[in-house]
Amino acid sequence: MTTESLPLRRFTIVEVNDAGVPLCLRLATSLAAKIAADLGADVLKIEPPGGDPVRQAPPLLPSGASALFQFLNTSKRSLVLDLGTESGRANLMQLLDRSHACLFEEPASIASLARAAKATPIEIAAFPAEMDAAARPVSELAIQALGGLMHMIGEPERKPLKLGGHQASCAAGLTAFTGLAAALAARDAGQRAPHVRVSLAEVMQWVNWKAASGAAATGVSPGREGKASEFQVMPCRDGHVAVVYTVTQWPATRTLIGDPRLNDEKFATRAGRRKNIAELYAIIAPWFTDKTRAEIQKTAQSKGVPFGPIFTPAELLETEQYVARGFLAKMTHPEIGKLLIPQLPVQWNGRSFAPRPAPSLERAELAA
Amino acid sequence: MNGPLTGVRVLDFGLLTAGANTSAMLADLGADVIKIESGAYLDPFRVVGKMDDDEGWWNRSPQFRFTNRNKRGLALNLKDPEGQRVIRELAKHCDVVVENFRRGVLERAGLGYQALKEINPRIVFAAISSQGDTGPERMNVSFGSTLDATSGIASLTGYKGEEPRISGMDVNYPDQIVSLFATGIVITAVMEARRSGKGAFLDFSQREVASFTLGEEILAASADPSHSLAPRDNGTQQDAYCCRDGRWIAVAHDEPGLASWCADRNRDDAVAALLARGIAAAPCNDGNDLLNDRSLAGVTLVRDEHGGLVKGLPYRLDGKGITIERAAPDLGQHTDEVLRELLGYGDAELTKLKKSGVTSTTPTVGDV
Repeated sequence: MTTESLPLRRFTIVEVNDAGVPLCLRLATSLAAKIAADLGADVLKIEPPGGDPVRQAPPLLPSGASALFQFLNTSKRSLVLDLGTESGRANLMQLLDRSHACLFEEPASIASLARAAKATPIEIAAFPAEMDAAARPVSELAIQALGGLMHMIGEPERKPLKLGGHQASCAAGLTAFTGLAAALAARDAGQRAPHVRVSLAEVMQWVNWKAASGAAATGVSPGREGKASEFQVMPCRDGHVAVVYTVTQWPATRTLIGDPRLNDEKFATRAGRRKNIAELYAIIAPWFTDKTRAEIQKTAQSKGVPFGPIFTPAELLETEQYVARGFLAKMTHPEIGKLLIPQLPVQWNGRSFAPRPAPSLERAELAA
Repeated sequence: MNGPLTGVRVLDFGLLTAGANTSAMLADLGADVIKIESGAYLDPFRVVGKMDDDEGWWNRSPQFRFTNRNKRGLALNLKDPEGQRVIRELAKHCDVVVENFRRGVLERAGLGYQALKEINPRIVFAAISSQGDTGPERMNVSFGSTLDATSGIASLTGYKGEEPRISGMDVNYPDQIVSLFATGIVITAVMEARRSGKGAFLDFSQREVASFTLGEEILAASADPSHSLAPRDNGTQQDAYCCRDGRWIAVAHDEPGLASWCADRNRDDAVAALLARGIAAAPCNDGNDLLNDRSLAGVTLVRDEHGGLVKGLPYRLDGKGITIERAAPDLGQHTDEVLRELLGYGDAELTKLKKSGVTSTTPTVGDV
């Protein structure tokens, strides 16, 4: 797609990166704005003198540049403004009055200015407003704990685990993008756009709704089941495979493994399988050991069984499905060189949204 | 209710979380969502959450009721040519289709994008599938945690030095985040359709959505084949610790003696003391904690008119959540109402559809 035909090309959005904001909030803000930018919105990223601290955040590329920053800031322009000064704030207000929406974080010094501007405010916070906790220390790990996700992962008798990556930030970033799209749609339809507020803690709980729903239905919270779980990870010849099957897929799973002991009456129902789960896994484990992930996936899929081979990010670069769909875009960065970068996970009439390189701080536009 | 999507009507074939929740989020923004099921094919959440075998069991599943509030429900047999004809008639009156069937199911019923575009060129068609609508793996079966494995998330999750972990059946994380992104893209396409009169085919791959959350790791691996993943665990200089009362907390801090310091205190005292020192700390909440802490829960959980707990909003609009205007529909509850209202059907036509089994209010299936 050329930028002229991109769906959000008519919109101007400001992303304010004020100093002193927790990193987990910034990642959410930047992800939401990046999605809008890749969709064609003119996104101006306001950075403090010295730049967004995410420019130094791991993982780093061989050039020393931050891969996290490069991923989260594609297709944006950047402008350095010192929001600690009156002229910096005055510049910001002028920009906001010419823009459709403004993304910023709750503890930012300019939060009250941004809430009052003509641009629709999209506010990213750590906690719900009722907690009155804008100054409370926060991190990705703390949000995964508060939202109950950590309680769900690991062995029951051992410590709870976080889910890999920046999932609290990412889920909130996707949510903020949807809130932004709703606000733009309201403006576009001539309505007053709502003020959107996204808190990482609420998003994490919303994502983890089955914990609350399960507790409400039975009084007992679901929790990490580890080796007592119906879905477990099995070692195989070249890595690991997640064993996953639904109730209707159990007969096909039994046929796939082909061990007559699985025909025992005690494995016939879901309740029976749960009760005898250690024995069930002891029976099926040897089937995996001499097979590769590719063999397991092919054989399982041919029987309609959704086992999942576990891939690393590096292995995803060569995944046949991703290559065929062009999910990873070739991008040439003026300073860093050639990169492969995941595109927005949607194809629109068969077309993808190729991201443009993130702005460098040296080339950031200086304020007038 | 007047919302950003007031006046938008959604033909909802969404199932389980990925599809049905995308439509639910559109409903929360003011869209009129009509959910299509049939007696021969229920939303699997009606069956997964089966509480008992008594008459009407299919209308009582908590998971179904959690996800499908604020929708009207129709039961029309997709496999019957007469059912297909009625759905095509309905599509003329709709702006959006959401579906997450296995690839090819709607095409075989004459209800794919090409067919519906012929009769309604402004239709926005959101096709949500595990692998996307193209590529060699498009027909692969998948269920929840299959995608933890194949997206890369599992490779980053686990105890240090041990095997990778999946989010598991009570989380199915990749299913939870797709609607947070897909809803925003559908809104963007609706804005385009309002302006240009042309709809769009939106092809979402859930696996790509999950991998997108690890964009920086994929980018880093592409730039440096020797880039190694951080070891699995709760991160560097942060971890979960067990307190005196046996409850766990997450602490974004690392100093000798922290584990024994936590072991000497109850959970809430330890969290309060750490926060007072400016350290990000939080309890590893379970489902009951989430139900009990109403300020932390924010607007993510709400009650329907029957007092049942259902899913709320992941964000606030003007500081507010949503009120539930309708509880989730019983199977076929609004078939007659919607066919009268949108298609002008009278008693004779409705009776004929009922007698021929095209419409129904009871399932013909047991387990899924």
